[in-house]
Amino acid sequence: MISLRKVWTVAERDLRIFLQYKFLLIMRAAWFLAQIALFGLIVNKMLNPEVQLTVGGNYYNFYAAGLIIAMLYSTAVFIGYDIYEEADHGVIEYLLSVPVSRKELVLGRSIGGGLRSFIYVSPMLLFVLYIIGVTNPLQFLVAFFSLFLFAFGVAGFSITLAVSIKSSDGFDILLGVLDALIIRLSTTLYPIAYMPSYYADIARFNPLTFAADLFRWGTGIESTLLTPPAVAVFGIVMFFSVFTFLGIILHERRLEGGSWQ
Amino acid sequence: MLPEANPKVSEPIIRIVNLTKKFGNFTAVDHLNLDVCDGEILGLLGPNGAGKTTTLLMLTTVIRPTEGTAHVGPYDITKEADKSRTLIGMAFQEPKLLWVSKPWDILDWHAKVCGLSTSERKKRVRWALEELELWNDRNKTVHTFSGGMRKRVEIAKILIQRPKIAIIDEPTAQIDIVGKHRIWNMIRDLRDEGSTILLATNELYEADVLSDRVAIMHKGKLLVCDEPKKLKDNIPGGDVIEVVLKENASQEHLAELKAMKRVVDVLTTKPNHLKIYLNQAEEVLPHITEFFIKTQMPIATIQMSEPSLDDVFVHYTGLTIEEAQKK
Repeated sequence: MISLRKVWTVAERDLRIFLQYKFLLIMRAAWFLAQIALFGLIVNKMLNPEVQLTVGGNYYNFYAAGLIIAMLYSTAVFIGYDIYEEADHGVIEYLLSVPVSRKELVLGRSIGGGLRSFIYVSPMLLFVLYIIGVTNPLQFLVAFFSLFLFAFGVAGFSITLAVSIKSSDGFDILLGVLDALIIRLSTTLYPIAYMPSYYADIARFNPLTFAADLFRWGTGIESTLLTPPAVAVFGIVMFFSVFTFLGIILHERRLEGGSWQ
Repeated sequence: MLPEANPKVSEPIIRIVNLTKKFGNFTAVDHLNLDVCDGEILGLLGPNGAGKTTTLLMLTTVIRPTEGTAHVGPYDITKEADKSRTLIGMAFQEPKLLWVSKPWDILDWHAKVCGLSTSERKKRVRWALEELELWNDRNKTVHTFSGGMRKRVEIAKILIQRPKIAIIDEPTAQIDIVGKHRIWNMIRDLRDEGSTILLATNELYEADVLSDRVAIMHKGKLLVCDEPKKLKDNIPGGDVIEVVLKENASQEHLAELKAMKRVVDVLTTKPNHLKIYLNQAEEVLPHITEFFIKTQMPIATIQMSEPSLDDVFVHYTGLTIEEAQKK
């Protein structure tokens, strides 16, 4: 039986710790500003009207929506770095000793890792919504709540990787490479129609594609190139479920078994 | 100073059965069998690498045993880990703190996750921070703290939690002598309030003054477990009485002394300096002084010394704790 109070207590801890990383938070926000105020605007001017039409009439809006998903992803994966930091300081041992079940611990950390990235991205999200606007509030709410699951799923994914890889350097490098690949092999930055088919086949099953397309659908960006919303929601739910489950199993088997020591 | 026997000691609250942990080919804990009684302070004594910390980590379900198990209260740690953790609180050897964290946040969260109400939490956290002289530093990040301050934050967790079973690994490592006494008193208070304390230490004096019973471990195995006094009394010739006489002792006197009950050996370091090795010196001392009075051998000085737990360790392993640590 999972205690929601305990799950929340674990999540709350991750929220508080995140706020301590002030330098990281400022740098991430600066990166977002540079992308939205420089890169997005300039690339938007480079594209011809035909291309603009395929992405709902305005690439800048398409890009801004995708950028939010990239931000959500890159801040939610940070929980994995926390786990390595905690392993260095022995805090994992402490967390395994407190009166919280392993399921509550991993669920709490997934939720905490996801929620803190959501809270952090919220001002940027509001800014993007101000730029794009919302045409259908109901659609937006569906997309909005799916994004919560997406953020929790990314946190679970990061936890799974963190407890699977023994070296912190290995984890660091892997996440760097994954960050580049996962974002670029998705529709966060560009539509699937412009990708070579061998990339598009991968991108179609990328959770970032589901999240980015669903968010665009939620804000009313009209494009036939977007993943159908039902498919995107299903993909996000599966992503969240699989990695939360894997996180719990690996946490129990690898951490508690002492193999990380 | 010897600890008084705790009258509250009763049935085992922890029963360790064949507990074993292997890391590859290395056996850290080797078929350990031990009972910890409800309400006692049990000191787990041994050099570094004896398997003390690994034992504690298995009891707190942080790592899984390779073989065997332990019952914490009614719960089997291998089958009901979640339930057994509700009875246990642990203060680790190395403080488990993220350096960006602050003492108040660390302790408040610990109290919260252990299920304390908001008002009780605030009260206990404040009390512990004040008692451990951390109140003024409660909002500083722990990376600015000394090793001793971090250790005090770690100890504070358990003092706030007041668990049914408190497991404390090296409670006063890196802490100054005044702080040590304060923490020892707080651990005794915790025991008096109803907690059972299992503490691991490689400090002989700490184990001696604090423990109702001491379990000595070496190379993953339990060598012996008993009250400190009994452990010391059971060393043949462990007590020493040093006598300086005003005149030299004769061979006849020495022979008569050696023949006394409980006397194991008599050595003369100088013709008038005697070292009498015996058991239970406090019982034999009156007979020895009577002997010297009867034989008209005036005593200049007389001094009695007990064996230490180090002597107990030497008795069972042939090594001092320091030597064992080096090996």
